[in-house]
Amino acid sequence: MKVLFFHLMPYADLDLDYQQKYRTDWVILPNSYFDPVKGHALYNRYLDELELAAELGFDGISVNEHHQNAYGLMPSPVVMASALARRVKHAKIAILGNAFGLRDNPLTLAEEHAMIDVLTGGRLISGMVRGIGAEYYSMGANPAFSHERFHEAHDLVVQAWTRPGPFAFEGKHYRFEYVNVWPRPYQQPHPPIWCPSLGSGETIDWASAKERRYVYIQNFSPVASVIRYLNLYRQTAEKLHGYTASSEQIGWAAPIYVAETDARAKEEARIHIERLFSKYLNLPFEMMFPPGYLSAKSLAGMRAIKRPALAAGTMTIDNLMEAGIFLCGSPDTVRGKLVEAHRRLGFQNFLANLHFATLPADLTEKNLRLFATEVMPALQALSDKEYAGMETQAAE
Amino acid sequence: MNESRVEIRGVGLHLRRGGKGAPLLFLHGVQGLPAEVAALERLAERFEVLAPDHPGFGRSDAPDWLEDVGDLAFFYLDLLDALDLEGVHVVGASLGGWIAMEMAIRSEARIKSLTLADAAGIRVAGVPRSDMFIANPAELQKLLFAKEAAAAEWFAHWQGSPEGLATYDKNRHAAAKFTWQPRLYDPRLEKWLHRIKLPTQLVWGAEDRLIPPAHAERLAALIPGAETAMLPDCGHMAEIERPELFADTVSRFIERKRP
Repeated sequence: MKVLFFHLMPYADLDLDYQQKYRTDWVILPNSYFDPVKGHALYNRYLDELELAAELGFDGISVNEHHQNAYGLMPSPVVMASALARRVKHAKIAILGNAFGLRDNPLTLAEEHAMIDVLTGGRLISGMVRGIGAEYYSMGANPAFSHERFHEAHDLVVQAWTRPGPFAFEGKHYRFEYVNVWPRPYQQPHPPIWCPSLGSGETIDWASAKERRYVYIQNFSPVASVIRYLNLYRQTAEKLHGYTASSEQIGWAAPIYVAETDARAKEEARIHIERLFSKYLNLPFEMMFPPGYLSAKSLAGMRAIKRPALAAGTMTIDNLMEAGIFLCGSPDTVRGKLVEAHRRLGFQNFLANLHFATLPADLTEKNLRLFATEVMPALQALSDKEYAGMETQAAE
Repeated sequence: MNESRVEIRGVGLHLRRGGKGAPLLFLHGVQGLPAEVAALERLAERFEVLAPDHPGFGRSDAPDWLEDVGDLAFFYLDLLDALDLEGVHVVGASLGGWIAMEMAIRSEARIKSLTLADAAGIRVAGVPRSDMFIANPAELQKLLFAKEAAAAEWFAHWQGSPEGLATYDKNRHAAAKFTWQPRLYDPRLEKWLHRIKLPTQLVWGAEDRLIPPAHAERLAALIPGAETAMLPDCGHMAEIERPELFADTVSRFIERKRP
């Protein structure tokens, strides 16, 4: 299994009383809440953590994109991937993901990803996402066209990476007379494309198609959803697309905290993981799902469960651990859960989110080192030999 | 009013039609049209009212090829051709007012007068507006209505049944498609409004917080000869919040302008 360290780079110095004045830390929270001097220290600390992970033997380090919020300070993950590109010599650098379709010109991102791929000698993983609902407010992109733009931007970018240029691209949303990206990507035919998701049958249908076979990553989800969607990927490949998906095509991303004992892990992580959900991932329904962002069927489904689990402000560490959204405990406990999850699901990619919300630097480093020495080696040794095969009832 | 389905250019359109008199095309607003609209019943006492659900809204089809408000304007000009209507009084509220202006600058041939109620379509620099999409339900009530009771009744209508909620979501989806960016206007519209030669009345809720009355002032300056009627105790949806006053304001203007 490949194990990556995934960083969100939250604004850890956020005034946590902001909710007395503002209902969310997304889109409408004034950027006067951001102190650039504190931001300077945080950025450098977070980059140090990513570089440390690479030294500790993680297969990859990962950054991502969010706009106008305190939850993740990387409106351009390309900037952070570039900052890491020269210092990190062997690990993969994963941008999970960039929202190509949010841009009026996705070719600029295609160029930047190709640059990083060439610079690193082919160590880039390109994540492609639609962007969460809130980004459509921030970026002024129309959510009613988000699926169309995602697909068209993907087609444009993959063609830009693979077809000899110059050529013309004539789509509904994107039209270019000259597509001729210099540099071309280092990896052939193009960098691996990963699709992180909070759980979407539509994304799975598309990503698992025979001509794509993109890696699907289930993010920040109850273990029941991880089981459902990772099995759904294998099942969709088999039944809809007529081939057997490899275990390298699926992965799981989860926040993790490891300490000397179960009790200590819980005690150290509690306040920080609860803040992740109550203070940072505090997204009202209208921002999570702007009109047009979901199909009528998906929106009705979301309404039926009232509030999505991730947006609920009442998540406690016990609830999060019980649901399997958050993995926390001694190395034995956490290793045991992951090895068992692999036995059931066989995923060959795991993204460990070892920093969250306000977790301080010393605890983050301890978490990274313990995970890297006590948990990760056992995971990296796992292959399809330890996978029990799909439980058919779980996939239904 | 009779409810029927007409097909225009391959798009199935849900159309309410009723009353006797000169044809009056009512173009609904960005929030969509509820099942019962008292203002339309009252207008039907004097006019033959035609009130379609816009493509994408209510019970109409949602074709991909109708992409923006300019497309909707041409589409409704096609509707006037298809139904062979002449001397039509076009009454547009909110988004419908925007569509009406876009129709008039393209062709006034089949149109007799324009009524623009709390019309979207332009932006007055420096006048703060609110965002109907990011607002939560409580904020939206305050944004759209002057009086709480009217707001409560409006939201109860949509939330009272699964079908109502599905239509509400469908309307919001279409509203986003046509008005998200730029929000509720087209910066190019203003420069063509001088082409409107029709008798035009601006009807505005004095307490419209979505598209505040400063927009009526600006439109009055841009559309030659336009008259303005401000409705007191009225928010963005005049036809819903003050149905009788709205209908009578429309009727009186049209009858006054009748040659």
